[in-house]
Amino acid sequence: MKVLEGDDMPLQVLLVEDSPGDVRLTQEAFREANISIRLHVATDGAEAITFLKREGPHVHAPRPDLILLDLNLPKMDGREVLAQIKEDEDLKTIPTVILTTSEAEADIAKSYQLQANCYLCKPVQLDAFENLVKSINDFWLVKAKLPLQVSANAT
Amino acid sequence: MPSHVLLVEDSPGYVRLTEEAFREVDASIQLHVVSDGVEAMEFLRREGRHALAPRPDITLLDLNMPKMDGCEVLALIKQDERLRMIPAIILTTSESDADIMKSYHLHANCYLSRPLEFDDLRTLVKSLVDFWLTKAKLPQNNARLLQAAAYKRMSESERNLVRREGRT
Amino acid sequence: MKTTPRLDRKIQLAFGCAIVALLVVGAISYRGMLVSSESDQWVRHTHEVLEGLEDLRSARERTESSVRGFVLTGDESYLETYRVSRLKAEQFQAIVRDLTADNPAQQRQFPILEKLAAQKFQLAQLVIGLRRSQGLEAAVDAMRSGSGQRIMDDFQAVIRTMVAEEQRLLVLRDADAKRRLSQTKTGLILGTVLGLLIAATAGWSVQRDNSRRGLAEDALLESELKYRTLIQGVQDYAILMLGPKGEIRTWNPGAERMTGCTHVEIVGHNFSFFFSAEDVKRGRPSEILRLAAANGTYEEQGMRVRKNGSRFLIHSNYTASRDPEGNLRGFSVISRDLSESKEAGEKYQGLLEAAPDAMVVVNQDGEIVLLNLQAERQFGYHRDELIGQKVKNIIPEGFAERLIADGTRSAAEALAQQIGTGIELIGRRKDGSQFPVEIMLSPFESAEGILVTAAIRDISVRRTAETHLAQMEGRYRGLLEAAPDAMVVVNVAGEIVLLNVRAETEFGYSRDELVGQKVKNIIPQGFAERIIADGTRSAAEALAQQIGTGIELIGRRKDGSEFPIEIMLSPLESADGILVTAAIRDISVRKTAETHLAQMEGRYRGLLEAAPDAMVVVNVAGEIVLLNVRAETEFGYSRDELVGQKVKNIIPEGFAERLIADGTRSAAEALAQQIGTGIELIGRRKDGSEFPIEIMLSPLESRDGILVTAAIRDISVRRTAETHLAQMDGRYRGLLEAAPDAMVVVNVAGEIVLLNVRAETEFGYSRDELVGQKVKNIIPQGFAERIIADGTRSAAEALAQQIGTGIELIGRRKDGSDFPIELMLSPLDSADGILVTAAIRDVTTRKMSEAQLLHKVAELKRSNEELGQFAYIASHDLQEPLRMVASYTQLLSRRYKGKLDAEADEFIAFAVDGASRMQRLIQDLLALSRVGSKGKELLDTSSENALQQALVNLRGAIQEKGALVTHDPLPAVMADEMQLVQLFQNLVGNAIKYQNPGVPMVHVSVVPGDREKWIFSVKDNGLGIDPQYFERIFGMFQRLHKREEFAGTGIGLAICKKIVERHGGTISVESQPGQGATFRFALAASARTMKASGGQ
Repeated sequence: MKVLEGDDMPLQVLLVEDSPGDVRLTQEAFREANISIRLHVATDGAEAITFLKREGPHVHAPRPDLILLDLNLPKMDGREVLAQIKEDEDLKTIPTVILTTSEAEADIAKSYQLQANCYLCKPVQLDAFENLVKSINDFWLVKAKLPLQVSANAT
Repeated sequence: MPSHVLLVEDSPGYVRLTEEAFREVDASIQLHVVSDGVEAMEFLRREGRHALAPRPDITLLDLNMPKMDGCEVLALIKQDERLRMIPAIILTTSESDADIMKSYHLHANCYLSRPLEFDDLRTLVKSLVDFWLTKAKLPQNNARLLQAAAYKRMSESERNLVRREGRT
Repeated sequence: MKTTPRLDRKIQLAFGCAIVALLVVGAISYRGMLVSSESDQWVRHTHEVLEGLEDLRSARERTESSVRGFVLTGDESYLETYRVSRLKAEQFQAIVRDLTADNPAQQRQFPILEKLAAQKFQLAQLVIGLRRSQGLEAAVDAMRSGSGQRIMDDFQAVIRTMVAEEQRLLVLRDADAKRRLSQTKTGLILGTVLGLLIAATAGWSVQRDNSRRGLAEDALLESELKYRTLIQGVQDYAILMLGPKGEIRTWNPGAERMTGCTHVEIVGHNFSFFFSAEDVKRGRPSEILRLAAANGTYEEQGMRVRKNGSRFLIHSNYTASRDPEGNLRGFSVISRDLSESKEAGEKYQGLLEAAPDAMVVVNQDGEIVLLNLQAERQFGYHRDELIGQKVKNIIPEGFAERLIADGTRSAAEALAQQIGTGIELIGRRKDGSQFPVEIMLSPFESAEGILVTAAIRDISVRRTAETHLAQMEGRYRGLLEAAPDAMVVVNVAGEIVLLNVRAETEFGYSRDELVGQKVKNIIPQGFAERIIADGTRSAAEALAQQIGTGIELIGRRKDGSEFPIEIMLSPLESADGILVTAAIRDISVRKTAETHLAQMEGRYRGLLEAAPDAMVVVNVAGEIVLLNVRAETEFGYSRDELVGQKVKNIIPEGFAERLIADGTRSAAEALAQQIGTGIELIGRRKDGSEFPIEIMLSPLESRDGILVTAAIRDISVRRTAETHLAQMDGRYRGLLEAAPDAMVVVNVAGEIVLLNVRAETEFGYSRDELVGQKVKNIIPQGFAERIIADGTRSAAEALAQQIGTGIELIGRRKDGSDFPIELMLSPLDSADGILVTAAIRDVTTRKMSEAQLLHKVAELKRSNEELGQFAYIASHDLQEPLRMVASYTQLLSRRYKGKLDAEADEFIAFAVDGASRMQRLIQDLLALSRVGSKGKELLDTSSENALQQALVNLRGAIQEKGALVTHDPLPAVMADEMQLVQLFQNLVGNAIKYQNPGVPMVHVSVVPGDREKWIFSVKDNGLGIDPQYFERIFGMFQRLHKREEFAGTGIGLAICKKIVERHGGTISVESQPGQGATFRFALAASARTMKASGGQ
């Protein structure tokens, strides 16, 4: 009989990504890797912030255990979102992993400067992508210890 | 290019275990060990006896240490504009929520709890290496690299020109 | 300015060079600009290229991802995206191609890119086709094949190469630009310096020429100026040129001034024009010319006539001028006007007329030459009648003689005498009357000799005054000097005519300083005016006023200090009109005393008004002399109605008598009685109503005799209270005394009116000590306030509150100790308002037991917490060494398996096993302790969701065993979600685990229980449990099976039990061996569902 751990409750992951193709791909890959995940999607930077701050239509949004963030977003750029997250007392403890197409050294350096927890480059190949998502799941959602998030109202 | 990992851990028992785990996962990885926070800062800043230390790709940091504990080291690292570019991963025995929250609050890149069994430790290290040293993009000390690369490709006359005029 | 040709050339050359230099500088700057902009352009260009490359790459990736999207979903919309991205990619490629048109290295890449694009396109078409025709699997397979990857890699590589190339170019161009820019800089500097040099040189040269020229011109101008000035300067002399016959040829400004003729008018005329008619008849002009011609020069003095007809004397010098042959060419004439003195004379005439005194100018012969209007008036003559006459006619004696006498003296000597020499003589008018005059002389020189100006002043008035003064002196001097007061005599004009020595001392002046001065100087206000006023009254009237009419004014001394004075006036007739004698007395001392007295009165009055009680001051006659406003209000009178009245009017009996009685006693005796003697009497108001009063007396000496001050206090309230108390006594005493609790009756003012003997004992006071006191003294807080609050409510309302309203407060005993009390209040109507009866109960013992209980509970809680913490810490710290043991034994077993002997392997295996088990036990303990310590608040939770989550977590086991788990619809309950999940997980997990081979079936259902609870059941078809073990299985680490049969530490149900109990319920089991088991537990329903289900 397994003793219950905290992370047997479903994990909440926020994916901030504007390309619908990539969103779909990510959803599929996570579904393969881990059934006990709730994946939320924000398609631009402003929506991401609203979701995290639980404002407007996202008043009842759960607090994510992990954020996957693309850099090139409409409305509010991913770097801006990252900066806002890491400057907010409440939000800074949520692990934020950059998941973007750019390999530019400037982007990598800037992201770590802004205290991104990690930087990943989206592989073009389907295989590689699935593999990456599996890696993310294995390391961040299984092995790593995430800060306990105070959940919103049950039901 | 071999990867360098800095392990900051005071308990020799844990140090040995970690070394074994890394060896089994990937023997080419260079594991550097320091046993307290003060020495850790010296290593990272390349001061004193660590003047010739290589720059680690990641740092594994224990929390409970004498002299300067892990949180202090973490804070110092993250305040320094250059040192914060090296991902700092907490690897400690404590699972307490307070410790976890505090570490993330200080911008630890990640928090890992030492498993009870060696096998689990090995699996953890494998996952760590796979994610951080293979898949993740780490920042390089880049500007000079590019310049150096471009310079290498120039012809002799071009080089002369740059050398002469480039002094302004 | 005229310039020489040489200078012109110089200037031209300079300007030319400057322009050239400027042009050169301009050219160099322009070049520099070009270089700079060029460089900018290149940078921009490079960035454009890099951007373009990035866009291209991005677009290609988009095409990739949209293809993938389509493959996964079959959604046609992805193809739209694909098409658009592909188009974009081609566009970007074209752009970059254009941009790098000049770079052959870059251009070479494009065919490669195109080839790759074509390959990609083919592949994409294939995949899309496959997806459409054969579905997901086939398409994915096709995508996964190697070529797609390779193409993208190649593509990325090409892009990277192109990027690197651009950057290399940038570095190069940058260096080049810098070099050219520095060249430009050098050129600019040189050019500027050169230009400046040229400008400087040219300027200096031109400047030098100019200054030399300038100097010469200046010199010329100067000499011209000097010459002109000379001529113009000669205004005082007439300088003219005559022809041989005397025709005026030239005319200067001097001549113009002298004659009044302008240059234009006179040139051409003969100079004889200016001679008098007689002189012309005599032939004087021609004679002069003949003489001048004969002798070469001729000097003469004579009268001429101006243009306006006036005559003037001139002195002329004629000089004949001849040509080289000796012929008479003409004459030059220089003339000087001698009649200045005449002009002066006219001015003098003006002054004379303006003089205030009579002015007469007399010549050495004693004849009047000039006189003014005043002189005409004084002497009553007309000017013509006097001019030319001997001065003796108006001043018979003493003047004419002096004149000659004065005349012989030199002007200097006379002037010396002039100052202050008023000579007194007698003047005679035309009508023969004489009058005294004073004359002042001053001589002056004139063309006709010395003339004497005499200023003549009529001194008749002064004379009269002098005479009069002598008269007065005799008459009054004696009186005045003898007077004790300061005496001052003033005339109708307000001037001091006379004063005595006392006045001198009083005011600090000497006599001379005051005589003739305005009396206002010593008595600024109030006197001078009265003078006139008094002056009009007759002597008789004034005398009548005299008695007792001291007029108080302010006197001012010479030093400016002022002092109060009292003046008494008496008129005085004199030949010259009424004079007023004023006797002036210094009343400073008296004034000080008066002020002081007024002050005192004021202070005393103030005290009186401020007094809280009514104060009345009565004199020995029993009359009210003074009272304050409080007395007015108390008795209902106004001040005026009482002052002067007998005090009997307000205090009919008992006071006035005492007064006389007191009055006979000495002040000392009365004072001795004063302290604490409140005398109770009756006071009577204006409206006739009477009221009880208490008076306190104190005597007061004044200049009018002894006065008695009475402080009067209205004691009606106190009386009423005293009466009331007597009433109350009878009515309630019985009740109160009988009461078991302490009873206290309080009025609306918060004062204790009544109490019983129990209250005395409770609070440790005697009755007298409490009656009349504020209830705050025994119940410091919470009661008095309520009284007022309660007091306003009606009896009915208060009674309604009474039931069960024990108010807990603190009571204070006489010894200062506090004790807890409970009050019950009830109101009481009385004639004098609402009184509140308070039943006071000592609740010390009750409070003590309550406190003890709380204390115990707190202790219990603390001890629980400690236990919980202890368990946690213990487990946590136990893990440390355990980790070491477990890890290293594991390492040992792996490294050395097969390397040591079989026994060693066995030993190691046991060690490893032991360590692992130890770890699991500790984990379980931790989990158990966490149920309590990590438990969260019970919230509205969906038990259905919790069950689902538990099933998700168990999916592995469910799948493995092929179990079937069903459930009824489950309600919302008040629970900790995580723990609820754990509960379900443990129970369902057990149900699946403890099974026979076969299909495990588990069903979760629920029924409503009483008291708003839901009773859950988890039923399985497993092994079942022997009833004798029902209790044990919920214990810690209790197992019913061997380890080999079923794994587990035996803590699962203990955790379930703890969770259920934490939720306020109990867990039970129903089972028979081999017949499965049903576990039941109850949870509180959430408010929501209760309402929904109609509160079953």
